[in-house]
Amino acid sequence: MSKVRKVFARIAIATTVISLVAIYPTQAASNMPTRIISLSPSATEILYAIGSGKQVIAVDDLSNYPSEAPMTKLSAFNPNVEALLNYKPDLIILNADATKALEVKVALEKLKIKVFLERAPSSPREAYLEITALGRATGKISGAQSVISDMKNKISAAIKSGKTSKKISFFHELDNTLYTATSDTFIGKVYKDFNLVNIADPAATADSAGYPQLQSEYVIKANPKIVFLADAQYGESLATLTKRAGWNGISAVKSKNVVALPEDIPSRWGPRLVDFYEFIASSISKVK
Amino acid sequence: MKKLKSKGEESALAPIWNWKITAFSAALLFFVGILAISFGPVSLGFQDILRTLFGLPGGLTGQDRTLLIDLRLPRALLAALVGAALATSGAVYQTVFRNPLADPYLLGAAAGAGLGATIALTSAGADLRSLLPVFAFFGAISAVLVSFFISGKFFAEPNSLLLSGIAVGSFATAVQTYLQQRNSSSLRPVYSWILGELTVANWEVVTWSSIYILIALIILFTVSKQLDGLMLTDEEAYSLGINPNKLRVIAVVAATLATATAVSASGLIGFVGIVVPHLVRGITHRVTNRGLLTIALVGASFLVLADLGARTLLSPAELPIGVITAFVGAPFFLVVLRKKRLVSQ
Repeated sequence: MSKVRKVFARIAIATTVISLVAIYPTQAASNMPTRIISLSPSATEILYAIGSGKQVIAVDDLSNYPSEAPMTKLSAFNPNVEALLNYKPDLIILNADATKALEVKVALEKLKIKVFLERAPSSPREAYLEITALGRATGKISGAQSVISDMKNKISAAIKSGKTSKKISFFHELDNTLYTATSDTFIGKVYKDFNLVNIADPAATADSAGYPQLQSEYVIKANPKIVFLADAQYGESLATLTKRAGWNGISAVKSKNVVALPEDIPSRWGPRLVDFYEFIASSISKVK
Repeated sequence: MKKLKSKGEESALAPIWNWKITAFSAALLFFVGILAISFGPVSLGFQDILRTLFGLPGGLTGQDRTLLIDLRLPRALLAALVGAALATSGAVYQTVFRNPLADPYLLGAAAGAGLGATIALTSAGADLRSLLPVFAFFGAISAVLVSFFISGKFFAEPNSLLLSGIAVGSFATAVQTYLQQRNSSSLRPVYSWILGELTVANWEVVTWSSIYILIALIILFTVSKQLDGLMLTDEEAYSLGINPNKLRVIAVVAATLATATAVSASGLIGFVGIVVPHLVRGITHRVTNRGLLTIALVGASFLVLADLGARTLLSPAELPIGVITAFVGAPFFLVVLRKKRLVSQ
């Protein structure tokens, strides 16, 4: 009797162990999202770079990179819960700055959909943290790690080639009413990595977010050596700068160091951050 | 009550308008103007500024001269023009609609201009962006025209015009919001335009805006005496030889021209159109439209001062001028309002 019991007990233990071993990986795999919607252009770029691209079923109307990302009319600024549900997602990347982001998150979680709330990083270091977090959320941890180490290598190479001990001042123009970014901002920190002198920094206290509006007179007086135009896509160029009153006396305009920044790249904190660093490095080397 | 009576007796004896007040406001504007161009992130010698202004030898040269002549001067002039336009139009709208709360944006001019500006900013081509003032101008004019036509018989009923202005304004705002939602990248430029900006002032803007604003103001000053007739009933106005409906159309068209130009040159600067007329009328205890020129001068001084604040408070950064006009204007206005009420009790 006891022998039979023992056998049964062994069989029972064996089956449990076997089934646990068998179940565990499948359970782990089923925990990983397979139907991701990204409502952030930066997150979209990160997902494709770390190898989660196949899990992505829809991206917002501004996620134009990489080209294989399934762009839809979904709005990242005004997320619509019902429109999102249509895609039957299991993970949604939501930008924390979107309209009513927290309410949308709560609504989606009630419907058992996971939400990754993405906060705009304030420095390149925080961008790496986001890549790691997205890797963890989508089961591509090693992909994320290799993207990060690749970025770090290339960025430090770019900084090395562009960094200068000379005090080169610059003005980063967001629009033609002279909104700009100080060294406190994400983009400002990129310039700072190159030791560039930001003429907006004396105005840093004017806006806690680091985007003050400068006066034309001040920009002329500060006399930057390089002007980076983030508004080149809106028609600003060396020619339009020359026409502004008093601007033809600015060193950058005189020596034609007016650089049109590429579209999108400066505002994406994903793997293309490397491109931005390399772009700035080559712009500086032309001035040196 | 007693006090009011004595006031009434006083003004029956006194002339309708005291021109010394106008002369004083002109002097005030001159003084404020000099003050405004003397301050900025770059410090320029006061004597040098005066010498340059009056063409005397020994003035500023080179970059400093450019700063004064091409940056500070057009900006102060534009502020003065816009201030004068908004204050005068506000006063005229208040008379025409017999509504103390009427402001220059009442008939949908602001919303129309906002829509026009948004169309220019959200259009696919970069070329339309430089035409923003033109779009804003026609947006404002068309919104007011539509309000006119919807309300039917022009001024048969001022209230129905007012209501149709509100409806047209809401409609234009709705279309503007729709366009912004579809083109979220334009949110910031549209927002910064709406807040009002004199930052892009240059001689080109001053030249074209001064043409329209001065034409409109001259028309309004010319009819200012008759405008007082609109404060009476229409029958009484007719008996004074005034055709009230014709006068209202002239007044509203001119005021709209001034407002549309101001809006297209500098965005939406609020509060000037309501505060300044009441301020002048409250301080002088006179409601007559003969004070229109004074209202224009005070409006100009007010905005030049506000712009000086916008440029210096956060220097070298800017503050949107609309913030200053409301921040300074509102409390000041409340003080005048309270005094006025005490007087009339």
